[in-house]
Amino acid sequence: MTTMMDRSASAPGQAAGKRPLIERLNIVTALVLGTVSAVVVWQLALRFLPETPETSLFFNREDKISLLSLIGWFVGFMTGIGALIGPFRWALGKDLNHDENMFLAGKDQGIKRYFRYTTDHKVVGIQYLVITIIILFVGGTLAMLIRTNLGHAQGGWIQPQTYNAIVGWHGIIMIVATIIMITGPFGNFIMPIMIGARDMAFPRLNALSFWLIVAAVPPVFISFFTGGITTGWSAYNPLASQAGLGMNGYIAFICIFAISTMVAGANITTTVVKMRAKGMTWNRTPIFIYGVVASVALALPAFPVFFLSQIMSGMDRAFATSFYNTAGGGSGWLYENLFWIMGHPEVYVILIPSVAALMEMAPVFTRRPLFSFNLAVMGIAGISGLSVLVWAHHMYISGWAPLLNAPFMLTTELISIPTGMLFLVLIGTLWRGRLWMTMPTASIYALLWNFMIGGITGIYLSDVPADAFLHGSMYVTAHFHYTLMGAGLTGALASLVFWFPKMTGRMFNKTLSWVSFWLVQIGFNVTFIGMFLVGLAGQPRRVESYAEVFSRGNLITTMGAYTIMAGMLVLLHGVISSWRSGVKAPMNPWQAKTLEWTVPNPVPLENFETLPVVTSDAYGYGKAKS
Amino acid sequence: MSDVQVSNKAKWWKSADVKKTAILWVVITPIIGYVATEVQLRSIGAPASEVMASVKSLMGIFTWAASPVAGLVAALALTSLMGKRHYGDNPPPDADHEIRNSPRAAATWLVVSTLLCLFALITGLVVLQKDSESILDAKAININVTGQQWVWNFDYPESKGVRSEVLYLPVDRPVVFHITSKDVKHSFWVVQMGIKMDANPGYVTETAVTPNKIGVFDVRCAELCGLLHAYMQNKVHVVSQADYDAWLSNRAALEGAA
Ligand SMILES: [Cu+2]
Repeated sequence: MTTMMDRSASAPGQAAGKRPLIERLNIVTALVLGTVSAVVVWQLALRFLPETPETSLFFNREDKISLLSLIGWFVGFMTGIGALIGPFRWALGKDLNHDENMFLAGKDQGIKRYFRYTTDHKVVGIQYLVITIIILFVGGTLAMLIRTNLGHAQGGWIQPQTYNAIVGWHGIIMIVATIIMITGPFGNFIMPIMIGARDMAFPRLNALSFWLIVAAVPPVFISFFTGGITTGWSAYNPLASQAGLGMNGYIAFICIFAISTMVAGANITTTVVKMRAKGMTWNRTPIFIYGVVASVALALPAFPVFFLSQIMSGMDRAFATSFYNTAGGGSGWLYENLFWIMGHPEVYVILIPSVAALMEMAPVFTRRPLFSFNLAVMGIAGISGLSVLVWAHHMYISGWAPLLNAPFMLTTELISIPTGMLFLVLIGTLWRGRLWMTMPTASIYALLWNFMIGGITGIYLSDVPADAFLHGSMYVTAHFHYTLMGAGLTGALASLVFWFPKMTGRMFNKTLSWVSFWLVQIGFNVTFIGMFLVGLAGQPRRVESYAEVFSRGNLITTMGAYTIMAGMLVLLHGVISSWRSGVKAPMNPWQAKTLEWTVPNPVPLENFETLPVVTSDAYGYGKAKS
Repeated sequence: MSDVQVSNKAKWWKSADVKKTAILWVVITPIIGYVATEVQLRSIGAPASEVMASVKSLMGIFTWAASPVAGLVAALALTSLMGKRHYGDNPPPDADHEIRNSPRAAATWLVVSTLLCLFALITGLVVLQKDSESILDAKAININVTGQQWVWNFDYPESKGVRSEVLYLPVDRPVVFHITSKDVKHSFWVVQMGIKMDANPGYVTETAVTPNKIGVFDVRCAELCGLLHAYMQNKVHVVSQADYDAWLSNRAALEGAA
């Protein structure tokens, strides 16, 4: 078998090849091959690409070289991790045999499987969890740099160029972290077990979606040192075409991440539609599953648009096309439209799974059935449907189409109706429950509070005349942090504590979870209420210094931000210490009724010895009064 | 699936929980409404145009319309928190009911949220309509606004090509701004007058306002436009008609001399 594999896997120079190629590829070979390939492409491009004529408006030879090198990195990394072995073998007509598939699934490899192209959904879930924590850590550090710089007026110690790069970097990686923070770790680890499946529908695509994210991250880090993403995360054109080489890192990052999201979306949707356990009708499918599917299904139409918008942006830079260049017949409005056609559904890509996760936890911690499952489903469906029709509320004051302001105001405000349904479901489930006070329980209340503020401020912003005042101010920044962080991240942190026992086999330290909960929630509200105040007083967003009148509000915000940081560090400590030496978790520590709690710790490779048959929904708590 | 319990259907409003919620609701709603409106309106500051005044009142109305909803959610949440709570590592016994839905509550919730949504929409449309008519005012002064990295320039085409980096406006006369940009996208924001419109390279966009207060106010750029975006701001002086005419002829003379 060994010799046959060596022949078919066709890597150069394998004289000493005792172990088959498939077993030798891991993150190290990926990094090495990615770097080598980037450098080789870079040198070749330097040598052979013709000089740009001096009349050229932008320095597009450098853009061509850096984009080509990034493509080189990408192809090298994905080859090095082993993403091509499967398709290559399949093309040769010698698809992987059973042993090789078991190897890919990570059988008997201990810790090493986390650094390989492993297909087991539980490994992928843990990988996603770790990379989410890393990205959140970096993004949080950048946020602290921003807040420290804004600690007092005029006293910015960060240069404007660096400051703008930090703002853009913080924005884009936090968006990515929040997009993957639920559907990545919990959508991959928990969801298949929850629906009673042995794995995802396409295990190799699962590994692919994760390693694409790993491949996407270095370009965005490198871009910081080549001029940075100085345009904010939205990278509006023509500002982006004017920006330095760092923008190419952004373009590569978004394109690779978009592929990852599309792959994950197709995979998760198929898994849920085709692989639910026998008897798990749609009425018996847990609400968390609806949240995950809505999230990834929304990403399916949204991210190809994002991908395309960045391809066009790259072409404007490298080939002097003029998709977004007015002088050449294009328009910056085209970019804005494409960006927000992705950008608004994307908000719900983040929010819906978070709310759905808390809905899943609510019956467990109130020991009563979920209130109005049907309204929950309808709310999720309603938000998803409307969210693709509201994008131009980001463009009320762009001048693009003033006549469309009223219809977009209508669709935007209509979203408050399905959103209200989700509130009713949560509040109805809390009503007359037997409250079990845990950090996830408290998170439900925190979400109601934060999401209420985020939602109501969203109504002001959806109103065209009020938006003419508020748009582009710190008010907007505060508003979307209330939704993405106050609601989104709150749900993700609760999910971490709730599913930690199943994912790691250990309980999350209770004290640490509570301490971090209070620090984060109090810090969060101080931070962003302060930010609302300066926004209302007229401070624009993304500024590196501000007028004296905004000093007090900014100081409050900065102090709040330090409190959040303290809370997040406590949480990080909680993750590390509980994972290493926490109390061993029983199989079902919360006495919950969904299927993931019926499998032992650690979860066996194929999850279930015999596949379960479902005869009721998972919310049969409470006893009837007799 | 079992519906609302029979006992619940009879006199649901007499239950202790419901009474508690009702009292909390009545107490919390005005507090939320008052605090939220006060905090907002104080932060915004005094309006310098009717447009801004209507934005302020609109936000006040929205806040008061939203506070019963926020108050109800808060009251329900607090009631549930004041019920039986359990701390410990093992689950408490199950709740003493298995309510899975309540058609009455759901229907009320849907109807009320739809009405509130329509209310917000109609109020917004009324103000929007008023604002957009002002662009058509024939008696208005026309000013061309040009954004470029990182300054604003104001041209007065009706006054012998006067150009200035500081905006001067006569009080109580409608102004229409024709806005464009030389390089990247900027956003022209006259803070205390509540108007904002993007400056796009290659296109001219319009917005209008009638300043109704003499004083010095702020113009800021509200769209990230590169290195010195934070410093792309200047003042707008709203002066009496006489002072405005004097300023214009002064500028015209200066520019003629140059
Ligand atoms: Cu600007």
